[in-house]
Amino acid sequence: MMKQENIRNFCIIAHIDHGKSTLADRILELTETVTQRDMKTQLLDDMELERERGITIKLNAVQLKYHAKDGEDYIFNLIDTPGHVDFAYEVSRSLAACEGAILVVDATQGVQAQTLANTYLALDNDLEIIPVINKVDMANADINRTKREIEDIIGLDCSDAPLISARTGENVEQVLEQIVSKIPAPKGDIDKPLKALVFDSFYDVYRGIIALVRIREGAIKLGDNIRFMATNAEYDVLELGIRNPNEVKVDSLKAGDVGWLSASIKSIQDVRVGDTLTLKNNPADKPLEGYRKLNPMVYCGLYPSDADKYDDLHEALDKLQLNDASLIYEPETSQALGFGYRCGFLGLLHMDVIQERLEREYNLDLIATAPSVIYHVYLTDGTMLEIDNPAKMPDSSRIDHMEEPYVRANIMVPDTYIGAVMDLCQNKRGIYIGMDVIDTGRNTLIYEIPLSEIIYDFFDRLKSSSKGYASLDYELIGYKKEDLVKMDIMLNGEVVDALSVIIHRSEAYKRGSGITIKLKELIPKQQFEIPVQAAIGGKIIARTNIKSLRKNVLAKCYGGDISRKKKLLEKQKEGKKRMKSVGSVVIPQEAFMSVLKVDDDPKK
Amino acid sequence: MTLKNNCDYLYLHVPFCNNICGYCDFVRTINNESLVDKWLEALKIEIDSNNINPNLNTIYIGGGTPSCLSIDQLEKLFLYLSPYLSNVKEYTIEINPESITIDKLELMKKYGINRISVGYQSNDDKMLSFLGRKHTYLDTVKAINNIKEVGINNISLDIIYGLPNQNMADLKSCIHDALILKPTHISLYSLQIEENSIFYKNGISNIDAELEADMYEYIRNVLADNDYLQYEISNFSKYGYESIHNKAYWNYEDYYGISCGASGKENHRRYDKTNNIYSYIENPLERDYIELNREDEIFEYIMMGLRKVEGINIKSFYETFNINIFDIYKEIIDKHINNGNIIVNDNIACSYKGLAILNEILIDFF
Repeated sequence: MMKQENIRNFCIIAHIDHGKSTLADRILELTETVTQRDMKTQLLDDMELERERGITIKLNAVQLKYHAKDGEDYIFNLIDTPGHVDFAYEVSRSLAACEGAILVVDATQGVQAQTLANTYLALDNDLEIIPVINKVDMANADINRTKREIEDIIGLDCSDAPLISARTGENVEQVLEQIVSKIPAPKGDIDKPLKALVFDSFYDVYRGIIALVRIREGAIKLGDNIRFMATNAEYDVLELGIRNPNEVKVDSLKAGDVGWLSASIKSIQDVRVGDTLTLKNNPADKPLEGYRKLNPMVYCGLYPSDADKYDDLHEALDKLQLNDASLIYEPETSQALGFGYRCGFLGLLHMDVIQERLEREYNLDLIATAPSVIYHVYLTDGTMLEIDNPAKMPDSSRIDHMEEPYVRANIMVPDTYIGAVMDLCQNKRGIYIGMDVIDTGRNTLIYEIPLSEIIYDFFDRLKSSSKGYASLDYELIGYKKEDLVKMDIMLNGEVVDALSVIIHRSEAYKRGSGITIKLKELIPKQQFEIPVQAAIGGKIIARTNIKSLRKNVLAKCYGGDISRKKKLLEKQKEGKKRMKSVGSVVIPQEAFMSVLKVDDDPKK
Repeated sequence: MTLKNNCDYLYLHVPFCNNICGYCDFVRTINNESLVDKWLEALKIEIDSNNINPNLNTIYIGGGTPSCLSIDQLEKLFLYLSPYLSNVKEYTIEINPESITIDKLELMKKYGINRISVGYQSNDDKMLSFLGRKHTYLDTVKAINNIKEVGINNISLDIIYGLPNQNMADLKSCIHDALILKPTHISLYSLQIEENSIFYKNGISNIDAELEADMYEYIRNVLADNDYLQYEISNFSKYGYESIHNKAYWNYEDYYGISCGASGKENHRRYDKTNNIYSYIENPLERDYIELNREDEIFEYIMMGLRKVEGINIKSFYETFNINIFDIYKEIIDKHINNGNIIVNDNIACSYKGLAILNEILIDFF
């Protein structure tokens, strides 16, 4: 058993592509946790999708042994963190399991938006931060500028920051020594009642849900009767262990340790990230701080483009949910798209990730409708409906008023881009609350903005109006009464339910014409003219026409080129197959998301 | 065992040009005299070894630019083919206005050529130069006068429309200037930016689809007004001057494909000759075969047949495949009858509007 003083719990935080995973790999090698031979590059990111997108979605914790220059042996628990605003809560919980963080900054790029966002999350959790300058071997590395940025913008002293190349391993040992010397050992009384922070969970086919925990106080051992304090679920501990990165079973975990436990847990709903684990017979008086129940904020319809794949979609969602408590879904039917599921997500990235996993890992071809938030619709009879699907909106004559969710958005932005970002927030119906100057050149703008505007195209616009330097964090603050209407889109005179959106009345004309024009671009000409109309309550507010197809023929076709011409036809046929017939009109899949992608600020 | 060798049609490809046009994706090599001589030797071997039907119906010498060969080279070529002319009704050669001389034309006449296809392309010299053509409109006028001079009266013009920046007025003048030359036959192709062409590599794109459709409609109207009958999607002729050879393709007949870059179809097999001139010279007899199964043949028969204004003869289809076309495609044919795309009597044919959107119809037959 390792003394508590010789344990170091830490994570690595960085802007995307600044070298977080590469550094983790080098640390695993240097501590001889993994031999170079067994090393797959970037071991911690084990999902294919994570690697491709360069983001970490699920968390992971690895235990390493390090023999330091002071002659002592140390145990390092390296906890991996996801890196996006949708998962900010999960990031903050894995940070809460640590005492320190290694902040990796790419010397060729300097401080970037996520560098800041992650640093602030770490500071919120009172972590000791070790700045590390990476990629110093690159020709375009600017070490002095990077140090200056970290000192000026973040306010961290960089005088003895290790200058490393995670790629070659240069100076990575200095990082290990600083972990020993700078990050405090965990504290926590082994004799107090158990308090363990659940910071991640995953599903194992044989053992059910596995919880990853950081023991704050007390100890846990095999056979203990445990209770999850938020969900009140109770289980008997069947297995305890650590990963190094292979699974190693242990008999007990005590204050300061990081490990996993299995207890034949069948429902992921019982194991919530941020919850506190205690003993049933000797419970802690109150849970650890910071637990939040995560509710989906964004909903969209997912439909198999091939109706026969409905059951496959169901099965795939079931499987994904085993690992992801924040994904929820229920069956829904669309006149345009047939049978599918209404799915709830934490945010847009979460939605994208789930969609991609469904398509890639489960080989499904999906049509997604534009995402929606949950609206509160108050009827004239005094009842309130929660509407997450515009197609389900009651008739306007029955509606007394509506409310939509607002978030409090904290936008960190350098001086240069304040004007542009404020413009953007104003355009998005944002209510200015205030501005904090964090540091020289850095500010936090605080706005209250409708969530629907955030999911519309806020991220892209924020990125472009700040050259990527602004970062956004937001939290739901409640509902506000707004003048909202449902806008229908009609093709050839028929309402396409999957294209309906709920919008603010003041934006109806702009959005209506934007969407109709976009659809005109996306929907291929057909053998008849197709009116594309946007309507509110039967009143047409925008209209355009898709002209009929007049010419689609191969100009030349003699003897020799039949094979090639057949291939051309085959391609056209394939393209058609991927479209959806709605009434008499054939619509390409991307049209259903088009209501999102409309440029509502056309420069004419 | 020898396969029966009874094709009535022969295509011979001349894979040489004096220059490479921006839109072209045919097999062609810049003319090089000694290379042409080696090619001619290989060609002789191929023609002599193929047991060609001496009673051919048509011969078509295409390219490339057949007229870029020298007089002596052309004469060799014609001599190779002379044993097969006894029954030939249509003997076509493609020429470009800049490389044709009265001597070459007299030679052609002497060896039985009775139809000349002229690369007119455009009446606009700027456009011609943009296309990479080396002739002017005046060269075309002179060439046609010379063709008539030597006594060849069946003249076809190839015209390209839908050129970048071309407007309707440009097209009208282009057609007008073609009609005054009084050809017996006109082929009009909208410019397609093909992937192997120089245009594609230079990022030139097709013109607006609406304008192109307008142009096609104008062409169909103006040619009808001038007594040119449309008999295929891109082909128009005076009465009696439809190309027998090209109709053989659309009737899905077998034909010989001779020389580098050609393809042919014989006995339920299509074949391609190599596109590489050096491989051809090395091994002139090599063919790359594609076996056609019944399903391929039925689809291709329809794909080619519906290009003709007269369409597919229901009886001929039955005689070819021993099955009634309606037994296979009733639902699809009915759908397109209802759409107004197809008309049925003794034949199954595209309507006026259906012909312009044949791809949409064919997709359903796949």
